[in-house]
Amino acid sequence: MANKQKIKGAEALLLSLIEEGTRDMFGYPGGQVIPIYDCLYDYRDRINHILTRHEQGAVHAAQGYARATGRVGVCMATSGPGATNLVTGIADAMLDSTPLVCITGQVPSSMLGTDAFQEADIISMTMPVTKWNYQVTSASEIPRAIAKAFYIARSGRPGPVLIDIAKNAQVEEMDYSYKPCLSLRSYHPTPEIDEEGVRQAVEMINAAERPLILAGQGVVLSGAERSLTEFAEAGHLPVATTLMGISALPSGHPLFVGNLGMHGNVAANAMTQHSDLIVAIGMRFSDRVTGDVQNYAPQAKIIHVDIDRAELGKNIRIDLALHADARTALEAFKVGLKYRERPDWFAFAEQERAVEQKEVFAHTDDPAGRFITMAQVIRNLAEIEKGDAVIVTDVGQNQMFSARYSRFNASRSFITSGGLGTMGFGLPAALGAKVGVPDKEVVAVLGDGGLQMTLQELGTIMQNNIGVKILVLNNSYLGMVRQWQQLFFNRRYSFTELENPDFSAIAAAYRIPARRVTKPEELNGALREMSEAPGAYLLEVAVMPDENVFPMVPAGASLSNLIYHD
Amino acid sequence: MNKEYIVIALTENQIGVLNRITGCYLRRKINIESLKVSESSIKGISMFVISAYTTEEYIDRVVQQIRNIIDVIEARYYTPDELITQEIALYKVSSKMVESNGRIDALSRSLSARIIEFNPAYVVIEKTGTRAEIEQLRDDLQRRGVLQEFTRSGSVVLHRAPLDDLLHDLGENTMA
Ligand SMILES: Cc1ncc(C[n+]2csc(CCOP(=O)(O)OP(=O)(O)O)c2C)c(N)n1
Ligand SMILES: [Mg+2]
Repeated sequence: MANKQKIKGAEALLLSLIEEGTRDMFGYPGGQVIPIYDCLYDYRDRINHILTRHEQGAVHAAQGYARATGRVGVCMATSGPGATNLVTGIADAMLDSTPLVCITGQVPSSMLGTDAFQEADIISMTMPVTKWNYQVTSASEIPRAIAKAFYIARSGRPGPVLIDIAKNAQVEEMDYSYKPCLSLRSYHPTPEIDEEGVRQAVEMINAAERPLILAGQGVVLSGAERSLTEFAEAGHLPVATTLMGISALPSGHPLFVGNLGMHGNVAANAMTQHSDLIVAIGMRFSDRVTGDVQNYAPQAKIIHVDIDRAELGKNIRIDLALHADARTALEAFKVGLKYRERPDWFAFAEQERAVEQKEVFAHTDDPAGRFITMAQVIRNLAEIEKGDAVIVTDVGQNQMFSARYSRFNASRSFITSGGLGTMGFGLPAALGAKVGVPDKEVVAVLGDGGLQMTLQELGTIMQNNIGVKILVLNNSYLGMVRQWQQLFFNRRYSFTELENPDFSAIAAAYRIPARRVTKPEELNGALREMSEAPGAYLLEVAVMPDENVFPMVPAGASLSNLIYHD
Repeated sequence: MNKEYIVIALTENQIGVLNRITGCYLRRKINIESLKVSESSIKGISMFVISAYTTEEYIDRVVQQIRNIIDVIEARYYTPDELITQEIALYKVSSKMVESNGRIDALSRSLSARIIEFNPAYVVIEKTGTRAEIEQLRDDLQRRGVLQEFTRSGSVVLHRAPLDDLLHDLGENTMA
């Protein structure tokens, strides 16, 4: 839009958002954003604004939307309490590299620093949890700030950006013209790959007897899913994924050996410990993945590819660091790569899978047949959905069972709060994901604890007819904490038991069809009913109260020290 | 092992960069000993000089994280011997110093310092030098019982390599 026109700052904001491709956004109004909302009223046909029930819901919805679509998620809140309510979601997006543009209102610039009504210094507060933030105090700054915000949020290692707009800037008139931001002199998001490093990497891979690829969310963020599959197939290399990398490779792929880390699969963790070469792509060796770093992958040389240079060597020793975009690196690795059978290595994978079958999979159902178990619910759900649903989880046992037993055919199908582990993420993130990918089945898998942290978003689902399926795994406990208390704190269940309301009655109050099941024989019928429901549906499954997620690597222990039983 | 590390960062002259940079130290609970921000030899680009005692492992990670700040153009760390470092200090001493030395120029010569204010009540002496030289004069004056007040700048540094090296990333965009 080259020709200039005189408009208000609020309108300039909306036009700028539209220029950046924003079609949907999530928000909550208040005194210092009323001018923007007033303008949104005229733009309802161009921007689908969804009113959530809490600002935390808005930011998580924007995260779910971004994760499901690959586009930048947009949310908005008023100054003061509205802005501070966003902070949890922003921190979550920072740790999970989710591209977000968060817009907050601010008191008029003449009143900044005076403790004016609903003034909060959100710029200072969000500094450690944003990739970039900026306060706009005059209307003329708006297009440039928004252009920079989107460019920074989506490029390089993506992340959340916050733009704080003083009220006077929303109402002032300005000459509007829009120019996207294409580069900044202090910011170089696309590193050039080191050719010599690539050559060395390929040589190391070709020479490896027991190679293992660790795929993280970086693969998804750079759109490298196909490159990953082709690379793995070309070299005949087994692939394990991190929690954030789940669904980067179809679960049924013959080279997929499972998930890594604390509640990962036996084969993926055992192969890490026996491997002679780890090729880590777009992941960050979080403590939940490595366990005790001193005893991590003791036999392996490690190649680490990441777009964020600060991640290379941050947590573990690296033998070859490649500062590069995942897709560029994977494409480069294919050149000169040798296909090798490595029969012993794949036999080892098979053997470890059999260990998990015997030690874990064979014991997931209640032997007495009385209770439904979480493992059973997720497995049966996977069978019904056949890998085509987007699974959005909350945090805790429900999350780990979802990660372990879901199946995925397509990328961006597993949405979870990995780095921050934010309870309350699941329901709003799922509604955001459904808005982003309305043609896909989206299932929120929630704990009874986590659901009650953002329960009010049922109102958002109702008002906007968002056809998201809600599966509540009700164990009447803060289950994951209860599990730690059982295993490591002498079964002293300090403040983890929950007395819960009737969730289906709550859903009914929101006019969302709902059902509660308690017996194993009711489970499949209910799951099918949920899956066939045309719109939103809440299924509460009363599950075994003392089920644990196994296997487990206790915090700080080596990956070699798995616990299989109570 | 804890040692002094000096980080030099070149940044866009933007509000908030200072907080983001100090935040990288704060997160790892590293105390900043001295910090100086000023315009670099290139207009619009600020130069930060930050000194702190920590380990090489930590400072390396801190610098990596400083580099990730959007408005930071480049950041590196140095040990003090890699840099030419000078500090400026002001010493307020009682005027009986002059009486016992006789003449002002004799006094300043004897201390390799400059007298910048002189009146019957006190004398203000300015000295430029390495940290050790600055501290030695302070201790000296204290021992003689004449020091009334003392203040010093942070380090002013130049590295032995030219600044262009730090700025290589700017390329042709320098004036953008
Ligand atoms: C906001 C927040 N508070 C506390 C925690 C700590 N925490 C982790 S898992 C968990 C229990 C979750 O209980 P529930 O939602 O019922 O899920 P379950 O583990 O029973 O499946 C808690 C309290 C957290 N992750 N996030
Ligand atoms: Mg629970």
